Amino acid sequence: MPLIPWRKKTVTEQPKQLSPWEAFRSELNRWFEDMEREIFGGGFWPSAVGGFVPPVDVSEDEKHIVVRAEVPGLRPEDLELSVSGNQLTLTGEKREARESRSAGVYQSECRYGRFVRLVELPGAVDPEKVEAELANGVLTVKLTKLGETAGRRIPIKVR
Amino acid sequence: MADEKRMRRTPEEGHVEHLRQGVCYLPLVDIVEKAEEIILKADIPGTRPENIDVNFEDGILTIYAKVDPRQEPGTQYLLREYGVGDYHRSFQVSEAIDASRITAEYADGVLTLHLPKAEAARPRKIPVQVSS
Repeated sequence: MPLIPWRKKTVTEQPKQLSPWEAFRSELNRWFEDMEREIFGGGFWPSAVGGFVPPVDVSEDEKHIVVRAEVPGLRPEDLELSVSGNQLTLTGEKREARESRSAGVYQSECRYGRFVRLVELPGAVDPEKVEAELANGVLTVKLTKLGETAGRRIPIKVR
Repeated sequence: MADEKRMRRTPEEGHVEHLRQGVCYLPLVDIVEKAEEIILKADIPGTRPENIDVNFEDGILTIYAKVDPRQEPGTQYLLREYGVGDYHRSFQVSEAIDASRITAEYADGVLTLHLPKAEAARPRKIPVQVSS
């Protein structure tokens, strides 16, 4: 095998020494995060079959909700977005290059296939005001909150 | 399975050269062998061609990609399934690869490396002569 992942044989010095407890905790956190994504991520368990499901982050400010997804290898025509109520649906397909099926595969870590990803939004959004942008494998969707849900401050009266 | 999981975007441990703050991620790769070359595809979303450094030295092929931060600290996240950081991964390459002709391209967040096999390692069809 002319090409193998390279690892240094000895780890001489670690940049930051974690205490055994911290290391244990961060390891557990990582397991749980992976597990949560497998079980709850992406609608009705499509990841259980081992296909590609894009990881997502959702952030909000007073007027907007921004959803970002990592979709390496997808072109705009491979993606479809729809909004209804407080739900954003991401549908798409990560295609595997045809050559890789016929030829010998050494190592296959990347996932391929169709996916449907439902993202629950914190409130209703205006379906007319959605901007989506795809650049270098990162999809950014900017949604505008509907008036009544945009962060309202509730004053507390003093009697 | 557990190992495979860990491979996905696991912050690198041990041999990282920290060029800047933050974590480094191992990109996921597919490696495919063809008759003439070996193709390596790495998922490295969120970077730009000018920020990718592919280096070949002493038989070690190294991929390093600088990623612009896009999850600003202080942002209110409702959901965050991935982290943003640089990508770094190394591979040991045998002599059967013609290192001088390695080419790389980056499109849609995927880095594709073409590693041409050295002349000696290519399959050759040997004609069989009929002896009379």
